[in-house]
Amino acid sequence: MSEFTKIAKNNLIRENQILVQVLGICSTLAVTNNLRNTAIMATGVTLVTGLSNLTVSLFKDYIPRKVRMMVETLIIAFYVIIVDIVLRAYLPDVSKALGPYVGLIITNCIIMGRAEAFAQANNPVISLWDGLTAGAGYSLVLLIVASIRELLGFGTLFNIHIMPKSFTPFTIMVMAPSAFFIVAILIWIAKSSSFKAGEKK
Amino acid sequence: MNREGRVYTITFSFIATFVFVLILALLNAATVQKIQENEQLFKVKAIMKAFGIEYDDKQALQTFEKYVKVTTLDGKELYYTLFGTEKLYGIVFGGSGLWSNISGFLAVDENVERIVGIEFISQAETPGLGGRIEEEWFKKQFRSEKLLNGAITLQTGGSGDYDHENGKVDAITGATQTSRALINIINDHLVILRNLLEVRK
Repeated sequence: MSEFTKIAKNNLIRENQILVQVLGICSTLAVTNNLRNTAIMATGVTLVTGLSNLTVSLFKDYIPRKVRMMVETLIIAFYVIIVDIVLRAYLPDVSKALGPYVGLIITNCIIMGRAEAFAQANNPVISLWDGLTAGAGYSLVLLIVASIRELLGFGTLFNIHIMPKSFTPFTIMVMAPSAFFIVAILIWIAKSSSFKAGEKK
Repeated sequence: MNREGRVYTITFSFIATFVFVLILALLNAATVQKIQENEQLFKVKAIMKAFGIEYDDKQALQTFEKYVKVTTLDGKELYYTLFGTEKLYGIVFGGSGLWSNISGFLAVDENVERIVGIEFISQAETPGLGGRIEEEWFKKQFRSEKLLNGAITLQTGGSGDYDHENGKVDAITGATQTSRALINIINDHLVILRNLLEVRK
């Protein structure tokens, strides 16, 4: 198995940022009651993780150890602001829909986590790939959580009505606590299947 | 040169920050005009939507200039338009939501007996909860809503109150505080409008 496929597999499933490393939980709880918003957030995080990984990896030999985390934050903030400015200038509608999310991307721990754990020690190309796939793993979990919450909380998917009229929406699904339950159940499933895989070996 | 030394660390931090911020400043300068135009256009569209004026996306500005007039009264910009034989008035409102500033446009009839419509210009409430004030179903509750005792009241438990004669709107499930704050802002601005237009209750 090539290094690229191995990284992709690890990031998507075996070492999924949310399910296994339990990173990026804040946005998983906050922005998953509506699929459209979740998709926008997931795209933003994936892009910024990839690009910040690339940049950190390019400069890793020049960054003094003492200030490396500050420099990483600077790079992450740099990309997030670029995304924000470009959206506001050329895609104002998307920018309006994103609203406060763009700022939230900076605080996502996955981005910093990948910069620290991977980009500091690997070459730029593979770091970019690692960032993008880590973001994809995050997006995968977020979209699963969001589809459960939107379907049960509003009876819709991507704002399109799915459930019959007689369906009573679960108010709890709209609120952040429901994401705790769903993420916990997903972690449970992921953990027990990885244990089973371990026993077979 | 010693990469961990004080001089290198300070020089590196300085140069890195300078370069990244310089790029952002240049990007900002290059797009600031476009962003302002977008914001102006967005405001113009919000005003026309609140008044119920139909417009073509490409000719929004021309339509606005043709139908909507603005005068300054007591230091406040009062917008007005002729709608059939009726004269409609409106002001830009602003105030604190749950944790962000909510601004938008409030349109009323000549005697401030009915709200014609509301539209939002900017808000940063929790996406998926308070942020849902921007959704069509919520704003539709205010369309030609008759005021009771000169104000609008909030009720909880429903999912949209489309009886436009009762002066009531439903709060957003899970975002009662934002809804309440918004109703207060609107009621305050109804008073301002009434004073501007010198209409007695």
